[in-house]
Amino acid sequence: MIKMWNKFRKHPLEKVSKELRLDLLEMIYAAGGGHIGGSLSSLDLMVAVYMGKAFDFKKDHFVLSAGHLAGALYVVLARLGYFPRSELKNYSGLGSRLQGHVSIDVPGVEYSSGSLGQGLSFASGLALGDKKRTVVCLTSDGEHQEGQIWEAAMLASKYKLGNLINIVDVNNYQIDGSTDEIMPLGKLGQKYISFGWTVKNVDGHNFWQLTKVLKKAKNDEYPTCILARTIFGKGVSFMQYDWRYHDVKKLEERLYLRAKEEIKNG
Amino acid sequence: MVRSMRQTFGEAVYKIAKNNPRIYVVNADLKSSLFLNKFARRYPKRFIECGVAEQNAAGVAAGLAKTGKTVFLTSFACFSPAINWAAIKQSIAYNKADVKIVGSHAGLMSGELGATHQMLEDVALMRTMPNMEVVAPIDAIETEKAVRVLANSRKPAYLRLVRPATLTWFPRKLSVVIGKSEVLKRGKKMTILGYGPILGMVWDKVKDKDIELINCSSIKPLDEETILKSVKKTKNCLVIEDHQKNGGVGEAIASLILRKGVKCKFKHWGVEDKFGESSRDYNELWKKYILVKSL
Repeated sequence: MIKMWNKFRKHPLEKVSKELRLDLLEMIYAAGGGHIGGSLSSLDLMVAVYMGKAFDFKKDHFVLSAGHLAGALYVVLARLGYFPRSELKNYSGLGSRLQGHVSIDVPGVEYSSGSLGQGLSFASGLALGDKKRTVVCLTSDGEHQEGQIWEAAMLASKYKLGNLINIVDVNNYQIDGSTDEIMPLGKLGQKYISFGWTVKNVDGHNFWQLTKVLKKAKNDEYPTCILARTIFGKGVSFMQYDWRYHDVKKLEERLYLRAKEEIKNG
Repeated sequence: MVRSMRQTFGEAVYKIAKNNPRIYVVNADLKSSLFLNKFARRYPKRFIECGVAEQNAAGVAAGLAKTGKTVFLTSFACFSPAINWAAIKQSIAYNKADVKIVGSHAGLMSGELGATHQMLEDVALMRTMPNMEVVAPIDAIETEKAVRVLANSRKPAYLRLVRPATLTWFPRKLSVVIGKSEVLKRGKKMTILGYGPILGMVWDKVKDKDIELINCSSIKPLDEETILKSVKKTKNCLVIEDHQKNGGVGEAIASLILRKGVKCKFKHWGVEDKFGESSRDYNELWKKYILVKSL
């Protein structure tokens, strides 16, 4: 009964997610551009990872493999007090530690990235070296076109890295179009299963599902891949499912205000 | 005495690992070639075998390093740092991970294996990378010392090794200090600079001549002071390297000489924008590609 009720009840993290979505929009508007589409799709995943109480990042590890999603991570870390929220407006500016692609100069960030397909290898290294802690890696679906991801998938399976979780932000879009059009990824879940991983499918915007799956994945004896179905540009109607919002160059004030309204009322 | 640099490397890592539990090896299916079988047997938990996947190996090495380990990433130079250069750039150098990239089989000395296995671009690839130190020992003795220094440096570095066993030429006590070059022989008429075993061959030819010989095994950082001091004295400089001239140490030294306004003759012997080929004797390759004329 309670489980059914949960489907209709709002998860407390939804309120946080909405506020951070506004922070993200404001930050990218102030910077004059940024990778907004994927940041909006992956934000809830990072909120669930950092605030869902499954992990303790004083000891556990988080690796953002898709470094262009830096914006989403920055707003989460600022919210958690890793650095002052007022710093967000400096995002991607000269001299700012909030680099356009995620950087270890930012407090709370463990891995600098930007070149796709490398984070899962780094996360596997962390998982090998720190077996008692959990390593959560966040990858995009598009970056699964990089061969290195599959090299890492083999290694994680060989070394039975049960403390490794790879969350894939399956938003179906990449810089030049949909993944189906650019390079179809096939059945990602089946691929990971055949590589020896545990695979879970979730709605990447449902905090009830996300938090539950993350807790379970933490105790799995095999590496776990969580395929999180998300909406590219989530929360802003004119950005949703529009790959041209992968990296917005100059967001018009009119559109910014509209987006803000939509998120507020969403 | 003839000793193999790569065998010395494998033995040195094994020895160091005994008293240094931080030492890990991340390997890409070349443990026999780098004489790491003993290490893998003795320390199975500290030996990570990635298979033929150098990009992943670089990332795994970086992640391990971030948990406090000192990682030797071992392969041939033609694969690592060649195939995984971008992974080294981001995951190791940019992230400042304590990983030592060990590239064996560098230069034309890979002999009969031919062009694909004669890595002639590695110095160019690695000396252009920020946060990266580059060391190319002259022989096995210097290799052992370099491994010991690098094991404690806690910084990213590239160690360039060669395939065949080579003579340990120098009776002197070579010390390895990152950023320092050693004057192997004093002279007044000419300065010969270089690194790796090809310098050993030069030693044989110049030992009775009034020529200064400098071992630039620390390719990056380069010991500008020692080089300039010698070049100012001899006003005649020759750089020899088993590597492409393009991007090689010769270019670094030429730029140094120009920047400092030193007037001197300058010659550069290296591979002239060409791929190598097979030969059972690397001396033949050196003759054909590096134009080692009489000195």
